[in-house]
Amino acid sequence: DATRGTSGDCQPCPCPSGATCAVVLKTREVVCTNCPTGTTGKRCELCDDGFFGDPLGQSGPVRACRACKCSDNIDPNAVGNCNRETGECLKCIHNTDGFFCDRCKDGFYGNALATNPADKCKPCSCSPSGTVGRQSACSQVTGQCQCLPNVAERDCSACQPGFFNLQSGNGCERCNCNPIGSTN
Amino acid sequence: PRPDVHPLPPGSHLLYAQSGRIEHVPLKGHDLKKDDAKPLLHLPEKVIIGVAYDCVEKMVYWTEITSPSISKASIEGGEPTEIIQSDLGSPEGITIDHLGRTMFWTDSMKDRIEVASLDGSQRRVIINSDLVNPRAVIADPPNGNLYWADWNHAGTHKLECMHPARGDRRQVMEGIQYPFGMTSFGKNIYYTDWQRDAVVAVDRYTSKESDHFQPQKRTKLYGIATAYAQCPSGQNYCAVN
Repeated sequence: DATRGTSGDCQPCPCPSGATCAVVLKTREVVCTNCPTGTTGKRCELCDDGFFGDPLGQSGPVRACRACKCSDNIDPNAVGNCNRETGECLKCIHNTDGFFCDRCKDGFYGNALATNPADKCKPCSCSPSGTVGRQSACSQVTGQCQCLPNVAERDCSACQPGFFNLQSGNGCERCNCNPIGSTN
Repeated sequence: PRPDVHPLPPGSHLLYAQSGRIEHVPLKGHDLKKDDAKPLLHLPEKVIIGVAYDCVEKMVYWTEITSPSISKASIEGGEPTEIIQSDLGSPEGITIDHLGRTMFWTDSMKDRIEVASLDGSQRRVIINSDLVNPRAVIADPPNGNLYWADWNHAGTHKLECMHPARGDRRQVMEGIQYPFGMTSFGKNIYYTDWQRDAVVAVDRYTSKESDHFQPQKRTKLYGIATAYAQCPSGQNYCAVN
Protein backbone atom coordinates (compact mmCIF):
# COMPACT_ATOMS: atom_id res chain seq x y z
CA ASP A 1 0.00 0.00 0.00
CA ALA A 2 1.92 2.96 -1.32
CA THR A 3 -0.52 5.52 0.07
CA ARG A 4 0.22 5.24 3.77
CA GLY A 5 3.40 7.26 3.55
CA THR A 6 5.66 5.03 5.62
CA SER A 7 8.96 3.51 4.65
CA GLY A 8 7.37 0.05 4.79
CA ASP A 9 4.62 0.83 2.27
CA CYS A 10 6.20 -1.12 -0.54
CA GLN A 11 7.65 -4.53 0.17
CA PRO A 12 9.45 -6.89 -2.13
CA CYS A 13 7.26 -9.49 -3.84
CA PRO A 14 7.40 -12.84 -2.00
CA CYS A 15 8.01 -14.51 -5.36
CA PRO A 16 10.98 -16.08 -7.13
CA SER A 17 13.21 -13.56 -8.85
CA GLY A 18 11.73 -12.04 -11.96
CA ALA A 19 8.12 -12.61 -10.92
CA THR A 20 5.81 -9.68 -10.28
CA CYS A 21 3.04 -9.65 -7.68
CA ALA A 22 -0.23 -7.97 -6.80
CA VAL A 23 -2.47 -7.61 -3.78
CA VAL A 24 -5.99 -9.01 -3.98
CA LEU A 25 -8.13 -6.03 -3.01
CA LYS A 26 -10.71 -7.92 -1.01
CA THR A 27 -8.50 -10.30 0.94
CA ARG A 28 -5.24 -8.28 1.07
CA GLU A 29 -3.51 -11.44 -0.07
CA VAL A 30 -0.33 -11.15 -2.11
CA VAL A 31 -0.27 -13.22 -5.31
CA CYS A 32 2.60 -13.67 -7.75
CA THR A 33 1.46 -12.78 -11.24
CA ASN A 34 4.32 -13.75 -13.50
CA CYS A 35 5.88 -16.96 -12.26
CA PRO A 36 8.97 -18.44 -13.95
CA THR A 37 8.33 -20.83 -16.85
CA GLY A 38 6.81 -24.11 -15.77
CA THR A 39 5.63 -22.79 -12.39
CA THR A 40 2.39 -21.28 -11.15
CA GLY A 41 0.45 -20.72 -7.92
CA LYS A 42 0.16 -17.84 -5.46
CA ARG A 43 3.85 -18.11 -4.64
CA CYS A 44 4.97 -19.94 -7.77
CA GLU A 45 4.95 -23.04 -5.58
CA LEU A 46 3.16 -25.29 -8.09
CA CYS A 47 4.07 -26.79 -11.43
CA ASP A 48 2.16 -25.93 -14.60
CA ASP A 49 -0.03 -28.45 -16.35
CA GLY A 50 2.15 -31.11 -17.96
CA PHE A 51 4.91 -30.72 -15.35
CA PHE A 52 5.57 -32.10 -11.88
CA GLY A 53 7.78 -31.24 -8.95
CA ASP A 54 7.94 -29.16 -5.78
CA PRO A 55 9.69 -25.96 -6.89
CA LEU A 56 9.77 -24.39 -3.42
CA GLY A 57 10.35 -27.63 -1.52
CA GLN A 58 7.12 -27.33 0.44
CA SER A 59 6.87 -31.04 1.21
CA GLY A 60 10.51 -32.13 1.15
CA PRO A 61 13.58 -31.29 -0.90
CA VAL A 62 13.24 -28.80 -3.75
CA ARG A 63 12.34 -30.56 -6.99
CA ALA A 64 12.29 -28.30 -10.03
CA CYS A 65 9.28 -28.71 -12.32
CA ARG A 66 9.93 -31.31 -15.00
CA ALA A 67 7.77 -32.59 -17.83
CA CYS A 68 5.55 -35.58 -16.94
CA LYS A 69 7.54 -38.85 -17.22
CA CYS A 70 5.11 -41.41 -18.55
CA SER A 71 7.18 -43.80 -20.67
CA ASP A 72 6.03 -42.18 -23.93
CA ASN A 73 2.59 -43.56 -23.14
CA ILE A 74 0.71 -40.26 -22.88
CA ASP A 75 -0.71 -38.03 -25.56
CA PRO A 76 1.45 -34.90 -25.72
CA ASN A 77 -1.65 -32.93 -26.61
CA ALA A 78 -3.72 -34.10 -23.64
CA VAL A 79 -4.16 -32.01 -20.48
CA GLY A 80 -3.68 -33.21 -16.92
CA ASN A 81 -1.26 -35.95 -17.97
CA CYS A 82 0.33 -36.27 -14.54
CA ASN A 83 -0.16 -35.19 -10.93
CA ARG A 84 1.58 -31.82 -10.70
CA GLU A 85 3.35 -32.72 -7.45
CA THR A 86 4.03 -36.45 -7.44
CA GLY A 87 4.27 -36.98 -11.19
CA GLU A 88 1.86 -39.93 -11.09
CA CYS A 89 0.66 -40.46 -14.65
CA LEU A 90 -3.08 -39.96 -14.97
CA LYS A 91 -3.81 -40.40 -18.68
CA CYS A 92 -1.92 -43.44 -19.92
CA ILE A 93 -2.65 -44.48 -23.50
CA HIS A 94 -1.77 -47.54 -25.65
CA ASN A 95 -3.54 -49.76 -23.05
CA THR A 96 -0.88 -49.02 -20.44
CA ASP A 97 -1.29 -48.27 -16.75
CA GLY A 98 0.79 -47.71 -13.62
CA PHE A 99 2.50 -44.76 -11.96
CA PHE A 100 4.68 -44.19 -15.01
CA CYS A 101 2.40 -45.85 -17.60
CA ASP A 102 5.07 -48.53 -17.48
CA ARG A 103 2.94 -51.68 -17.42
CA CYS A 104 0.02 -53.06 -19.37
CA LYS A 105 -3.41 -52.40 -17.96
CA ASP A 106 -5.52 -55.32 -16.73
CA GLY A 107 -6.68 -57.52 -19.56
CA PHE A 108 -3.62 -56.68 -21.70
CA TYR A 109 -0.11 -58.11 -21.96
CA GLY A 110 3.19 -57.29 -23.62
CA ASN A 111 5.94 -54.74 -23.15
CA ALA A 112 4.55 -51.32 -22.22
CA LEU A 113 7.99 -49.84 -22.92
CA ALA A 114 8.33 -51.08 -26.50
CA THR A 115 9.04 -48.26 -28.94
CA ASN A 116 6.47 -49.26 -31.53
CA PRO A 117 2.88 -48.82 -30.23
CA ALA A 118 1.85 -51.98 -32.09
CA ASP A 119 4.36 -53.96 -29.96
CA LYS A 120 3.15 -52.53 -26.67
CA CYS A 121 0.11 -54.01 -24.94
CA LYS A 122 -2.15 -56.53 -26.64
CA PRO A 123 -5.52 -57.73 -25.35
CA CYS A 124 -5.40 -61.02 -23.40
CA SER A 125 -8.58 -62.18 -25.15
CA CYS A 126 -8.80 -65.18 -22.80
CA SER A 127 -11.34 -67.70 -24.03
CA PRO A 128 -14.14 -67.46 -21.42
CA SER A 129 -15.05 -71.13 -21.46
CA GLY A 130 -11.45 -72.28 -20.98
CA THR A 131 -10.38 -69.75 -18.34
CA VAL A 132 -10.65 -70.01 -14.56
CA GLY A 133 -13.55 -67.86 -13.37
CA ARG A 134 -14.02 -66.57 -16.95
CA GLN A 135 -11.52 -63.86 -16.01
CA SER A 136 -10.19 -61.48 -18.64
CA ALA A 137 -6.73 -60.86 -17.12
CA CYS A 138 -3.57 -62.74 -18.11
CA SER A 139 0.15 -62.78 -17.28
CA GLN A 140 1.52 -59.28 -17.94
CA VAL A 141 4.60 -60.66 -19.64
CA THR A 142 3.71 -63.91 -21.41
CA GLY A 143 0.00 -63.25 -21.91
CA GLN A 144 -0.81 -66.69 -20.53
CA CYS A 145 -4.41 -66.87 -19.34
CA GLN A 146 -5.18 -69.01 -16.31
CA CYS A 147 -6.56 -72.16 -17.93
CA LEU A 148 -9.01 -74.68 -16.46
CA PRO A 149 -7.78 -78.30 -16.08
CA ASN A 150 -6.58 -79.94 -19.29
CA VAL A 151 -7.04 -76.74 -21.31
CA ALA A 152 -4.17 -75.54 -23.53
CA GLU A 153 -2.98 -72.50 -25.50
CA ARG A 154 -2.07 -69.00 -24.30
CA ASP A 155 -5.68 -67.90 -24.45
CA CYS A 156 -7.10 -71.22 -23.08
CA SER A 157 -8.96 -71.73 -26.31
CA ALA A 158 -8.30 -75.46 -26.88
CA CYS A 159 -8.24 -78.77 -25.06
CA GLN A 160 -4.97 -80.61 -24.52
CA PRO A 161 -4.46 -83.57 -26.89
CA GLY A 162 -6.65 -86.45 -25.75
CA PHE A 163 -9.25 -84.19 -24.13
CA PHE A 164 -12.57 -82.68 -25.30
CA ASN A 165 -15.59 -80.57 -24.30
CA LEU A 166 -14.03 -77.13 -23.78
CA GLN A 167 -17.49 -75.58 -23.78
CA SER A 168 -18.43 -77.26 -20.49
CA GLY A 169 -16.76 -74.37 -18.63
CA ASN A 170 -15.25 -76.86 -16.17
CA GLY A 171 -12.15 -77.78 -18.13
CA CYS A 172 -11.72 -80.53 -20.71
CA GLU A 173 -12.63 -84.20 -20.23
CA ARG A 174 -10.54 -87.18 -21.18
CA CYS A 175 -11.59 -88.70 -24.52
CA ASN A 176 -11.26 -92.25 -23.12
CA CYS A 177 -10.95 -93.67 -26.63
CA ASN A 178 -10.14 -97.32 -26.80
CA PRO A 179 -6.52 -97.49 -28.02
CA ILE A 180 -7.27 -100.56 -30.07
CA GLY A 181 -10.03 -98.99 -32.16
CA SER A 182 -8.57 -95.48 -32.49
CA THR A 183 -6.26 -94.20 -35.25
CA ASN A 184 -4.12 -92.14 -32.88
CA PRO B 1 -2.28 -7.10 -13.18
CA ARG B 2 -4.61 -7.84 -10.31
CA PRO B 3 -5.54 -11.39 -9.50
CA ASP B 4 -9.27 -10.85 -8.91
CA VAL B 5 -11.91 -10.47 -11.61
CA HIS B 6 -11.21 -7.43 -13.74
CA PRO B 7 -14.26 -5.90 -15.41
CA LEU B 8 -14.07 -6.13 -19.21
CA PRO B 9 -14.20 -2.84 -21.11
CA PRO B 10 -17.08 -2.43 -23.60
CA GLY B 11 -16.80 -4.05 -27.03
CA SER B 12 -16.14 -7.60 -28.16
CA HIS B 13 -13.20 -9.61 -26.88
CA LEU B 14 -11.52 -12.95 -27.22
CA LEU B 15 -11.15 -14.78 -23.91
CA TYR B 16 -8.49 -17.47 -23.61
CA ALA B 17 -7.11 -19.61 -20.78
CA GLN B 18 -3.42 -19.74 -19.98
CA SER B 19 -1.67 -20.96 -16.82
CA GLY B 20 -4.51 -20.55 -14.32
CA ARG B 21 -5.69 -17.31 -15.87
CA ILE B 22 -8.39 -16.19 -18.23
CA GLU B 23 -7.04 -13.35 -20.33
CA HIS B 24 -8.79 -11.16 -22.84
CA VAL B 25 -7.69 -9.43 -25.99
CA PRO B 26 -10.07 -6.79 -27.40
CA LEU B 27 -11.37 -7.10 -30.96
CA LYS B 28 -11.56 -3.98 -33.09
CA GLY B 29 -13.53 -5.04 -36.10
CA HIS B 30 -11.76 -8.27 -36.86
CA ASP B 31 -8.38 -7.05 -35.66
CA LEU B 32 -6.80 -8.19 -32.44
CA LYS B 33 -5.77 -5.26 -30.26
CA LYS B 34 -2.71 -7.15 -29.10
CA ASP B 35 -1.26 -4.39 -26.93
CA ASP B 36 -4.44 -4.28 -24.85
CA ALA B 37 -4.43 -7.94 -23.79
CA LYS B 38 -5.05 -8.17 -20.04
CA PRO B 39 -6.04 -10.74 -17.44
CA LEU B 40 -9.73 -11.04 -16.67
CA LEU B 41 -9.30 -13.44 -13.79
CA HIS B 42 -6.45 -15.26 -12.10
CA LEU B 43 -6.88 -18.49 -10.14
CA PRO B 44 -3.23 -19.26 -9.42
CA GLU B 45 -3.78 -22.76 -8.04
CA LYS B 46 -6.05 -23.98 -10.82
CA VAL B 47 -5.50 -25.36 -14.29
CA ILE B 48 -8.23 -23.72 -16.37
CA ILE B 49 -8.98 -25.60 -19.60
CA GLY B 50 -12.21 -24.61 -21.35
CA VAL B 51 -13.72 -21.12 -21.53
CA ALA B 52 -17.22 -20.13 -22.62
CA TYR B 53 -19.22 -16.93 -22.58
CA ASP B 54 -22.89 -16.23 -21.94
CA CYS B 55 -23.75 -13.02 -23.77
CA VAL B 56 -27.14 -12.73 -22.02
CA GLU B 57 -25.97 -12.52 -18.42
CA LYS B 58 -22.42 -11.46 -19.37
CA MET B 59 -20.84 -14.35 -17.53
CA VAL B 60 -17.66 -16.25 -18.27
CA TYR B 61 -17.74 -20.02 -17.66
CA TRP B 62 -14.73 -22.28 -17.34
CA THR B 63 -13.67 -25.87 -16.66
CA GLU B 64 -10.82 -26.71 -14.29
CA ILE B 65 -8.98 -30.01 -13.83
CA THR B 66 -7.00 -29.89 -10.55
CA SER B 67 -10.17 -30.37 -8.49
CA PRO B 68 -12.40 -31.03 -11.48
CA SER B 69 -15.16 -28.42 -11.60
CA ILE B 70 -17.15 -25.99 -13.71
CA SER B 71 -17.42 -22.38 -12.51
CA LYS B 72 -18.66 -19.00 -13.63
CA ALA B 73 -18.08 -15.31 -12.86
CA SER B 74 -19.50 -12.04 -14.12
CA ILE B 75 -17.21 -10.23 -16.56
CA GLU B 76 -18.33 -7.03 -14.89
CA GLY B 77 -16.41 -8.14 -11.80
CA GLY B 78 -17.39 -10.44 -9.00
CA GLU B 79 -16.68 -13.66 -7.21
CA PRO B 80 -16.21 -16.89 -9.11
CA THR B 81 -18.94 -19.43 -8.26
CA GLU B 82 -18.62 -23.18 -8.64
CA ILE B 83 -21.58 -24.71 -10.46
CA ILE B 84 -20.60 -28.38 -10.79
CA GLN B 85 -18.03 -30.30 -8.71
CA SER B 86 -19.26 -33.89 -8.67
CA ASP B 87 -18.82 -36.77 -11.09
CA LEU B 88 -16.27 -35.04 -13.32
CA GLY B 89 -13.05 -36.66 -14.55
CA SER B 90 -11.34 -34.19 -16.85
CA PRO B 91 -13.86 -31.54 -17.91
CA GLU B 92 -12.34 -29.77 -20.90
CA GLY B 93 -14.32 -28.06 -23.65
CA ILE B 94 -17.36 -26.02 -22.63
CA THR B 95 -19.90 -24.04 -24.63
CA ILE B 96 -23.06 -22.05 -23.87
CA ASP B 97 -26.34 -22.17 -25.75
CA HIS B 98 -27.41 -18.64 -24.86
CA LEU B 99 -30.88 -19.15 -26.34
CA GLY B 100 -31.60 -22.50 -24.71
CA ARG B 101 -29.90 -21.38 -21.45
CA THR B 102 -27.85 -24.54 -21.26
CA MET B 103 -24.17 -25.46 -21.18
CA PHE B 104 -22.47 -28.43 -22.82
CA TRP B 105 -19.09 -29.85 -21.84
CA THR B 106 -16.75 -32.67 -22.78
CA ASP B 107 -15.03 -34.96 -20.28
CA SER B 108 -11.96 -36.72 -21.67
CA MET B 109 -11.59 -39.15 -18.76
CA LYS B 110 -15.20 -40.24 -18.53
CA ASP B 111 -15.35 -40.03 -22.33
CA ARG B 112 -18.69 -38.33 -22.51
CA ILE B 113 -20.48 -35.12 -23.41
CA GLU B 114 -22.96 -33.67 -20.94
CA VAL B 115 -25.51 -30.90 -20.80
CA ALA B 116 -27.00 -28.96 -17.89
CA SER B 117 -28.88 -25.76 -17.21
CA LEU B 118 -26.65 -22.77 -16.51
CA ASP B 119 -27.12 -23.23 -12.76
CA GLY B 120 -25.96 -26.85 -12.97
CA SER B 121 -29.41 -28.39 -12.58
CA GLN B 122 -31.05 -30.80 -15.04
CA ARG B 123 -27.71 -32.36 -15.82
CA ARG B 124 -27.62 -35.33 -18.18
CA VAL B 125 -25.20 -37.25 -20.39
CA ILE B 126 -25.95 -36.84 -24.08
CA ILE B 127 -23.08 -38.89 -25.55
CA ASN B 128 -21.12 -41.68 -23.87
CA SER B 129 -20.00 -43.92 -26.71
CA ASP B 130 -17.27 -43.80 -29.35
CA LEU B 131 -15.40 -40.91 -27.78
CA VAL B 132 -11.62 -41.11 -27.41
CA ASN B 133 -10.43 -37.73 -26.22
CA PRO B 134 -13.22 -35.22 -26.78
CA ARG B 135 -12.24 -31.63 -26.12
CA ALA B 136 -13.43 -28.60 -28.10
CA VAL B 137 -17.22 -28.28 -28.25
CA ILE B 138 -19.31 -25.55 -29.85
CA ALA B 139 -23.06 -24.97 -29.69
CA ASP B 140 -24.88 -23.46 -32.64
CA PRO B 141 -27.92 -22.02 -30.81
CA PRO B 142 -30.11 -20.89 -33.74
CA ASN B 143 -29.87 -24.32 -35.40
CA GLY B 144 -29.55 -26.37 -32.26
CA ASN B 145 -26.51 -28.31 -33.48
CA LEU B 146 -23.61 -29.29 -31.29
CA TYR B 147 -20.14 -29.70 -32.81
CA TRP B 148 -17.18 -31.34 -31.10
CA ALA B 149 -13.66 -32.43 -31.92
CA ASP B 150 -12.25 -35.78 -30.87
CA TRP B 151 -8.65 -36.75 -31.34
CA ASN B 152 -5.84 -38.84 -30.01
CA HIS B 153 -2.19 -39.25 -30.76
CA ALA B 154 -2.72 -42.67 -32.29
CA GLY B 155 -4.97 -41.49 -35.05
CA THR B 156 -8.49 -40.34 -34.22
CA HIS B 157 -8.87 -36.77 -35.50
CA LYS B 158 -12.56 -36.20 -35.99
CA LEU B 159 -15.00 -33.36 -36.00
CA GLU B 160 -18.50 -34.58 -35.23
CA CYS B 161 -21.91 -33.03 -35.01
CA MET B 162 -25.28 -33.86 -33.49
CA HIS B 163 -28.64 -32.23 -32.96
CA PRO B 164 -29.24 -33.23 -29.32
CA ALA B 165 -33.01 -33.38 -29.74
CA ARG B 166 -32.79 -35.52 -32.90
CA GLY B 167 -29.79 -37.62 -31.86
CA ASP B 168 -28.54 -37.68 -35.47
CA ARG B 169 -24.83 -37.94 -34.71
CA ARG B 170 -22.59 -37.69 -37.76
CA GLN B 171 -18.99 -37.04 -38.74
CA VAL B 172 -18.31 -33.62 -40.25
CA MET B 173 -14.62 -33.89 -40.96
CA GLU B 174 -11.72 -36.28 -40.46
CA GLY B 175 -8.00 -35.56 -40.36
CA ILE B 176 -8.10 -32.34 -38.35
CA GLN B 177 -4.84 -31.37 -36.65
CA TYR B 178 -4.46 -30.22 -33.06
CA PRO B 179 -6.00 -26.83 -32.55
CA PHE B 180 -6.72 -26.84 -28.83
CA GLY B 181 -9.68 -24.47 -28.55
CA MET B 182 -11.69 -22.70 -31.22
CA THR B 183 -14.23 -19.89 -31.56
CA SER B 184 -15.74 -17.85 -34.38
CA PHE B 185 -16.42 -14.15 -34.76
CA GLY B 186 -17.77 -12.70 -37.99
CA LYS B 187 -15.63 -13.83 -40.89
CA ASN B 188 -12.87 -15.21 -38.69
CA ILE B 189 -12.21 -18.42 -36.83
CA TYR B 190 -9.78 -18.04 -33.94
CA TYR B 191 -7.98 -21.03 -32.47
CA THR B 192 -5.32 -21.64 -29.84
CA ASP B 193 -2.25 -23.28 -31.31
CA TRP B 194 -0.06 -25.58 -29.22
CA GLN B 195 2.86 -25.44 -31.61
CA ARG B 196 3.26 -21.68 -31.41
CA ASP B 197 1.58 -20.89 -28.05
CA ALA B 198 -0.50 -18.37 -29.95
CA VAL B 199 -4.02 -17.31 -30.86
CA VAL B 200 -4.34 -17.72 -34.62
CA ALA B 201 -6.94 -15.92 -36.77
CA VAL B 202 -8.13 -17.67 -39.92
CA ASP B 203 -10.42 -16.08 -42.49
CA ARG B 204 -13.13 -18.65 -42.94
CA TYR B 205 -13.91 -17.65 -46.52
CA THR B 206 -10.36 -17.69 -47.85
CA SER B 207 -9.26 -20.42 -45.38
CA LYS B 208 -6.07 -18.43 -44.88
CA GLU B 209 -4.38 -17.39 -41.68
CA SER B 210 -4.87 -13.63 -41.33
CA ASP B 211 -3.15 -12.84 -38.05
CA HIS B 212 -1.71 -14.36 -34.91
CA PHE B 213 -1.06 -13.19 -31.38
CA GLN B 214 1.52 -14.54 -28.94
CA PRO B 215 0.91 -13.47 -25.33
CA GLN B 216 3.92 -12.27 -23.38
CA LYS B 217 3.95 -15.43 -21.31
CA ARG B 218 5.05 -18.35 -23.48
CA THR B 219 3.06 -21.29 -22.21
CA LYS B 220 0.27 -23.34 -23.65
CA LEU B 221 -3.00 -21.62 -24.47
CA TYR B 222 -6.11 -23.66 -23.69
CA GLY B 223 -9.75 -22.82 -24.36
CA ILE B 224 -10.87 -19.73 -26.25
CA ALA B 225 -14.25 -18.01 -26.50
CA THR B 226 -15.70 -14.86 -28.01
CA ALA B 227 -17.22 -12.40 -25.56
CA TYR B 228 -19.69 -10.60 -27.81
CA ALA B 229 -20.61 -7.01 -27.05
CA GLN B 230 -24.14 -8.05 -28.01
CA CYS B 231 -25.67 -11.47 -28.40
CA PRO B 232 -25.68 -12.69 -32.01
CA SER B 233 -29.23 -12.55 -33.30
CA GLY B 234 -31.14 -15.79 -33.61
CA GLN B 235 -34.19 -17.59 -32.42
CA ASN B 236 -34.22 -20.60 -30.17
CA TYR B 237 -34.88 -23.61 -32.37
CA CYS B 238 -37.19 -24.93 -29.64
CA ALA B 239 -39.37 -21.81 -29.87
CA VAL B 240 -40.41 -22.84 -33.38
CA ASN B 241 -42.20 -25.94 -32.18
